[in-house]
Amino acid sequence: MTEPPDPVTLAVLDNRLRAIVEEMGEAMLRTSYSQILNSSRDFSIALCDAQCRLVAQADHIPVHVGAMPWAAKAVAAAFPAPREGDTYLLNDPYHGGSHLPDLTILIPVFADGALRFWSVVRAHQSDIGGATHGGYNPGATEIWQEGLRIPPIRLGEGGALRDDLIRMLATNTRIPRDFTGDLMAMIGAARLGEQRLRPLLAKYGAAGMEAAVGAILDLSEAHARRILATWPDGSWTGEAFLDDDGFGREDIAIRARVTKRGESLTVDLSDSDPQATGFVNSSYPNMRSAVAMAFAFLLDPDLAKNDGAFRPLEVIAKEGTVVWAREGAPVTMCTSHCSNEIVEAIIRALQHAVPDRAMGGWGRRFRVAITGQDARRPGRRFVWHLFHARPGGGGSARGDGWSTAGEWHSAGGLKFGSVEMAEARFPLLFERHEFLPGSAGDGEHRGGLGGELSLLVESDGPCRANTAGDGARHGAAGICGGQDGAPHHYVLRREDGTERVLRTKEVGIEVRPGDRVMVRAGGGGGWGDPARRDPASRARDAQEGLV
Amino acid sequence: MAGYRIGIDVGGTFTDVVGIAADGTQTLAKAASTPEDQSLGVVQGLRNLAAALGLELGALLAQTDRIVHGTTVATNALLERKGAKVWLLTTEGHRDVIEMREGLKPERYDLRLPPPEPLVPRHRRLPIRERLRADGSVAIPLDRASVEAAVARLKAEGAEAVAIAFLHAWAAPKHEHEVAAAIAAALPGATVTCSADVLPQIKEFERFSTTAVNAYVGPVVSRYLARLAGRLEEAGYPGPLFVILSHGGVAPVEEAARLAVGTALSGPAGGVAAAVALAQQGMGADLVTFDMGGTSTDIALVVGGEAALGRGRTVGGERIALESLDIVTLGAGGGSIAHLGPGGTLQVGPQSAGAVPGPACYGNGGTEPTVTDANLVLGTLDPGAFLGGARRLDRAAAEAAVGRLAGQLGLGLLDCAAGIHALVNARMADGVRVATVRRGVDPRDSALLAFGGAAGLHATAVARELGLRRATVPLFAAGLSAWGMLHTDLRYELAQSAVGATGIPEDAALRTLFDALERDGRARMAGWYAGEVAIRRSADMRYGEQVFEIAVPLDGIDWAGPDLAGQLRAAFHARHRALFTYDLPEEEVVLVNARIAVIGRLPGHPPAARTEAAPAAPLGTRPVRLEGASAELPVWRFESLAPDQRIAGPAIVESATTTVLLRPGDAARMDGRGWLDIAVG
Repeated sequence: MTEPPDPVTLAVLDNRLRAIVEEMGEAMLRTSYSQILNSSRDFSIALCDAQCRLVAQADHIPVHVGAMPWAAKAVAAAFPAPREGDTYLLNDPYHGGSHLPDLTILIPVFADGALRFWSVVRAHQSDIGGATHGGYNPGATEIWQEGLRIPPIRLGEGGALRDDLIRMLATNTRIPRDFTGDLMAMIGAARLGEQRLRPLLAKYGAAGMEAAVGAILDLSEAHARRILATWPDGSWTGEAFLDDDGFGREDIAIRARVTKRGESLTVDLSDSDPQATGFVNSSYPNMRSAVAMAFAFLLDPDLAKNDGAFRPLEVIAKEGTVVWAREGAPVTMCTSHCSNEIVEAIIRALQHAVPDRAMGGWGRRFRVAITGQDARRPGRRFVWHLFHARPGGGGSARGDGWSTAGEWHSAGGLKFGSVEMAEARFPLLFERHEFLPGSAGDGEHRGGLGGELSLLVESDGPCRANTAGDGARHGAAGICGGQDGAPHHYVLRREDGTERVLRTKEVGIEVRPGDRVMVRAGGGGGWGDPARRDPASRARDAQEGLV
Repeated sequence: MAGYRIGIDVGGTFTDVVGIAADGTQTLAKAASTPEDQSLGVVQGLRNLAAALGLELGALLAQTDRIVHGTTVATNALLERKGAKVWLLTTEGHRDVIEMREGLKPERYDLRLPPPEPLVPRHRRLPIRERLRADGSVAIPLDRASVEAAVARLKAEGAEAVAIAFLHAWAAPKHEHEVAAAIAAALPGATVTCSADVLPQIKEFERFSTTAVNAYVGPVVSRYLARLAGRLEEAGYPGPLFVILSHGGVAPVEEAARLAVGTALSGPAGGVAAAVALAQQGMGADLVTFDMGGTSTDIALVVGGEAALGRGRTVGGERIALESLDIVTLGAGGGSIAHLGPGGTLQVGPQSAGAVPGPACYGNGGTEPTVTDANLVLGTLDPGAFLGGARRLDRAAAEAAVGRLAGQLGLGLLDCAAGIHALVNARMADGVRVATVRRGVDPRDSALLAFGGAAGLHATAVARELGLRRATVPLFAAGLSAWGMLHTDLRYELAQSAVGATGIPEDAALRTLFDALERDGRARMAGWYAGEVAIRRSADMRYGEQVFEIAVPLDGIDWAGPDLAGQLRAAFHARHRALFTYDLPEEEVVLVNARIAVIGRLPGHPPAARTEAAPAAPLGTRPVRLEGASAELPVWRFESLAPDQRIAGPAIVESATTTVLLRPGDAARMDGRGWLDIAVG
């Protein structure tokens, strides 16, 4: 082993590694083709070392935090001797991926003839084949119905790519151009990481970098342990429920036992319900990532997101439960559900141990996609995805929750588009899009409000709609005595005034011109006893028309 | 009389006033800034300039034919939340647009961060029953009763500032204008601003937010500018007063008051305008500006001689979607505090010692080690020559502050100071790298243009980290922002969205769209200026349902020629390829906004006279800690360097307001046009 680096070199390298992932993220944003990437930023960037330890990760979508090492490990297991110039790809949730729509590119970075780092880019594809457009198939009972499975493969070597292989993959998706464009952007961003690491390896030496990375991880571990040391010891349980699996099984429980001893935290999810028939199951890497996400939310925001910071966290789970499905089960919904329920169960377990750190529940995801014809653009099919009328965030010791800021897994990181732009480009009229008064969970600090949407469909002929999501039965959890936020309530109101409640997992719903999709999104969970709410805050809520 | 032109830049601490005489002679004067009423400091600065020129203030102003002013009044009102009490009248069913913020929240892992107070609280956002469609047609006619109810409420409350923002007003302003007329009739003194007049562009959050900000800062900015114009008139100034706007051009004071939100970046705009002027004077077409001040560092790009513009600005947490100079601000500067971060590593910033107490070496009670303290410990700053000797620096206090941190880190004093210096250089380089990749620019062929008090000590190290081969430091670095204001033109920006269900309007409609904008723009400019006018056309375009548009310059388009839409498409594909390395010729191209910039070319100045002097000798030497060793470095007086005089690093070049550190391998040459040109070794 080399000498540990001096504190200045350490600080410079720590900054440099974080700046590299940030720069890779900017490159991804600039070059990706599909809307889901360049607008919604549904991608993540990481650097892992030769031991597949997470060294640095950019702050994009929290649901991917800590997930990337599993991808690196899967590649390392499948290809024990990677070579310089190789490019690897995977998406299979049973081989290092989270769910099929997320592709992961991994590029090995070499110095002195040995593997030193993995440059990793993960991004959500707008389509990955399978039975339904966009990968969310509530009818799937096995993963093969969800899309194309890609275990770790070598997509190219010697700096070149296998065009035939890329064509084969693209051919299996509905929008090959998006697929190929986004894949190229991912590879470009991963190569940028390699280009930026090389001069560092040359300047500080491979051994010097290894020592620095070791020291950075150790410092982050010490940081996390210092925070945990201030928490009381004990063991607590918390649970959260999925509405259903889309096949009639309701109230599926995710149960967390969280034990804090000294400077360590153990999360045991073994008592969670058995795996489900539909796509709400979690893959193993996604479950690990969801636990890491809860951990990151509860500790300090400035804690580094790396292997060291997560060392004090031990995770126990049982294969065959909803949080860790056996190979073959469908899992596409898992980055939102049951990720959100895993986070919420852990935070509920810890609410009384660290009330100042716990926060009320954030909302659930309930997607709607509508496809049909627009009279203004004959011959072109439109596909519109609902990102508006978002749920609210949870209250906390520091204040009320954020309104319409979204779900646990995105936490204010996903943007909804302009109403005006949607109306200009789709046969839709947004009659109302406002905060939904009364949707927030009450508390000393209440949750944020969910959104309300009245959407008039003005298509040329009938459309089809699919839904995918959860949270129409269970609202975001109240914490520390706060009340739950209202659950989602989506209704299809026919032109003749008749109404039909939309369930969270439906395909092929007929929507006719003149029909309205009426969304009442759930609010965030409250924090603390509502009786302790400051009367001035109540008066203000009344004045602002929020209750 | 000899025509002076005067640029005035109001900074946090000092108000800089630069006068350029008819023969090109440049004079800098300073006065303390007066935050409670910036116009007092401005007039004092003018008085000091007059004194420096041996004139009475009235005599100077009588001989002055242009004053250009950069103001931070709007910026400060936003940052300190001291704007007007705004009411927002908006389309019924959509009154939460500005508070929803498109569902975004900053700080991804800080879920306990409380939401910000909206600029206009919900109870002051009044719904008006009306609705337009994207093609400007009326879905719900303007409902008189809801207008009357809102106007009655405004009247009862004595509203001072009203923003009117309706959905699709970008396509048809009629509903907004009718409501504005009703309010103007009922409340004659109120500031009333319509979204269709501020920013007739699609995307409601950006337009509504910009409009609300305009109403918020409008009364404050108008009052200030009226006060300033009054003081200048009183002092005997007969000429025009211009204000530099966020886009780097200038406008008459009346226009700055009308579109007050356009002054939100007036402060840093002068520096970028200076960079553009220096690029034109031969410094190089591609520059990265590096303006390192006390608490922050501003970075902007000049590409091909032009400053990059963007529309994504946030000031004081509020979105402003007007065309603005694309300035990136990094939270580190000379006053940034070095400390052991919560993660156990050395960090610099974001906390700053500010102007009060300032760095430990200022001797005003600061005890935390700052970047400036580290530089003093390293010997690169002269304790007796800071600000021309106006402020004596306390080396012992700096050593004590840095020494405490050194103890925590287990480092020697000098190693700790060198570490702070190195870390801040690395952070600056990282900031420039991320800012340039975000804009699709490879900075390596650019020169780093360093100005601002602290930049000279860090410039060549930052350039070296970035792989830049040149750094430049203007002799006039201290007054550069005020100087830049005198080297930019009148500019009026117009935009109009033209989004339809089809990608690009037909040729005849395209011509009508751009011609109408140009006509409006020329008419507006004719009211300001009778001189030479240039027009730049551009468009914001994108592929299909992509969400981000890119700005496409339309300079080479044959507007009278065939297949105009096809020409625009080709220009877009080419621009996309240049920015993102690829294009998609088969994909639908959508035109979102048509844009016109009307530029009134102001007469230039003769270059400052070059002094033909003999090469100067160094003033002496100073011990400096550099790259792990101490060395006696020669110290040169910046002002006394002769044109083409060459200095090899390591060396120090200092003036009253700037110190430049040349490192081993650096080779500097004094350019006769007024800057130190450094080949970074």
